[in-house]
Formats: sequence, structure tokens, C-alpha cells
Amino acid sequence: MAMMPRRVKYRKSQRGRMKGNASRSNFVAFGEYGLQSLETSWVTAKNIEAGRVAATHFLHREGKVYLRIFPYKPISGKPLETRMGKGKGETEYWAARVRPGMVMYEIGGVPEDVAKQALVRVAHKMPVRCRFVKRRHSL
Amino acid sequence: MGKPLLLKAQIREHTGSKAAQRVRQLGRIPAVVYGHKKEPIAISLDGHNLVEGLHSGRRLVSVQIGKKQETMIFKELQYDYLGKDIIHVDLMRVEASETVRVTVPIELKGTAKGAQEGGIVEEHTDRLEIECRVTDIPEAIVVSVKDIEVGDTLHASDIELPDGVRLVSSPSTLLLTCGLVAAAKSTEEIEEEVPAAPEVIGEVKEAEEGSSEEKAEKRKT
Repeated sequence: MAMMPRRVKYRKSQRGRMKGNASRSNFVAFGEYGLQSLETSWVTAKNIEAGRVAATHFLHREGKVYLRIFPYKPISGKPLETRMGKGKGETEYWAARVRPGMVMYEIGGVPEDVAKQALVRVAHKMPVRCRFVKRRHSL
Repeated sequence: MGKPLLLKAQIREHTGSKAAQRVRQLGRIPAVVYGHKKEPIAISLDGHNLVEGLHSGRRLVSVQIGKKQETMIFKELQYDYLGKDIIHVDLMRVEASETVRVTVPIELKGTAKGAQEGGIVEEHTDRLEIECRVTDIPEAIVVSVKDIEVGDTLHASDIELPDGVRLVSSPSTLLLTCGLVAAAKSTEEIEEEVPAAPEVIGEVKEAEEGSSEEKAEKRKT
């Protein structure tokens, strides 16, 4: 299984609602370039790992890839051909809650065109529309 | 720093988020003016002229409110949730001879030696707080990274500031490091590190409590 927390307080969680835009993690803070989400969605651990592999593979050990999201939310599901009831299903996968404006990936140490190409590949793995962003140095 | 940017302002009679939104729809940007122990004034500025002025890196601005013209500096800018458009501006009244505290970006110049050897330069802080006269505010603090090798670090105390500029940020503020990039882990390696299922904090305690209760029952019998 891909990324998941080491310790959790509760085994399962309710679905919850994702309203509004990102109020934090909405600017490039570590690298020079980033991939910003334009939609709200759950991004699964598999999606995150696929994006990371796509970026690192494209960069050939040049530059550094930063992951700004982590799948903290357990998503449960019922097995196939099971009757309703008998309690909540077991955790099937883990997901990160992503809201518009959230910077999901960052890249540093490479020129802009290379970073852009790498992040385009990452964007294809994401379940949300994304845009390429640069670090804002001035006010 | 060149001549201050000249902007014409209109006083906003209605304040609040709804009124500010209407102002933005007209292509103007809501702003507030404060400082010099005077009453703050809610104004609006032309969006196009403001953005153009900011792109030229100017901090000093001359704002005409009615018939009165005042010199101000950009104290803070607020952006929308995507960080694309400016939604609000804070302006502070200043005088030419006054000393102010401002945040100035750091501009890295050159290619580090370490970068040529396979390392990458990581910028930890991209702006510094400085104190200087209003007319001496630099657009950016230029830092040469030519001599930075792999393993080197650069702190705020290491950089040379222009004349008349005093550092306010902590001298120990880490600006940048140069290090080698660790080999990216494969998916299999990550899977090995991650446990099959996470440890549930409460359940461990409950199991312990359960065993202690069982022990207590056994003692009773």
C-alpha cells in the first residue's frame, strides 16, 4: 500500500464536506515552482505517489521534488456483493483533502521550462485541474 | 529608488466585503491608508496602474486623495486564494526623511559552485526585514551565490547590505543551503517503510485496559 499515516486516533472517518478555498498551503514555500489545484477533491495516496514518480522520473535526479499534501483521511468501502448494513466497511484507501488554491507539489533546483514539463506530467496524474505557479519573492 | 509612482485615489464611502467586491468589479482595488497618528481612510486605486507600478518594483508611491497629495509606501498586499490578483492594499503614510521598517525580497545572483557539482541551492528565506530611510529602500537585496559550495549555508548576517540599511530580521536567519539531492526512493522502498495498517492510538490503550480488567476479574475469582 502507498502512503498512509503511521498512527491514527480513529480507524475510520465520516465523509465530511470540503467547502471554500484553501486558506493555507496556497503559495509556493519550499521550491521555486509549484502545481496548484483549481478544484476540490480527494487526492488518493495512489495519485500522490504516481505524481511523485512521474516528476522524479522526468527530472533524472536533478532538482528536488516537494510533496505538500499527505493522505490523512481513511476512505472506507463495502466489499462487492455484500448486503447493506452490518456496520461501516473497512478502510480501502487513504486520501488527501485538496481545495482550490492548494499547492500540491513543488520543484526546486531546475530551470523553469524543465519544472514546467515535469509538473505537466504530474498534473496528468491528478484528479483535479491544476495550474503551474511560481514563487512570489516580492510583496 | 526612482521617482515615486503617482496614483489617483477615490475615497470609498461604503466599506465591507460586499462593497469591496463592487469596487473590484469596476477594475479598481480597495485600499486603506494609515499612519502618522491620523484617521485611517478607505480608498480605491486604479488596478491597472497599481499592478504596473508594482511590477516595476517600486515601494514608494505618491497618492492623490482629492486635492491632497501624500507620500506612502506599500505596507502589505493581499492576494486572492490562487495568489493571482491583488484584492487589497495597505498603504502607510511616510515622509522622505523618515526611517521605516520594510520587508525586501532577496535576489540570488549567479550560479553556485555547488550547483555545478551536482548540488542544489535551496532558498529557505526569500525576504528580509530591514530598517532604512524611505528614499533608500532597495528594490531587492542582491546576494551573490557564486562562491557557495556543496554543504555551505548562508545566513542573514553573512550578506552585505547597502549603505544606510540596517537588518531587523534575526542575523541567524537561514537564507539558503547548498546540498546534494538524495536519490529518490522507489515505490517499493516507500511501501517497505510504511506499515500495512496504521496503529490506532486509542485501541492500544483499550487493549491494555481490557487486559488489566481481566486480571482484576481473575483476582476476584
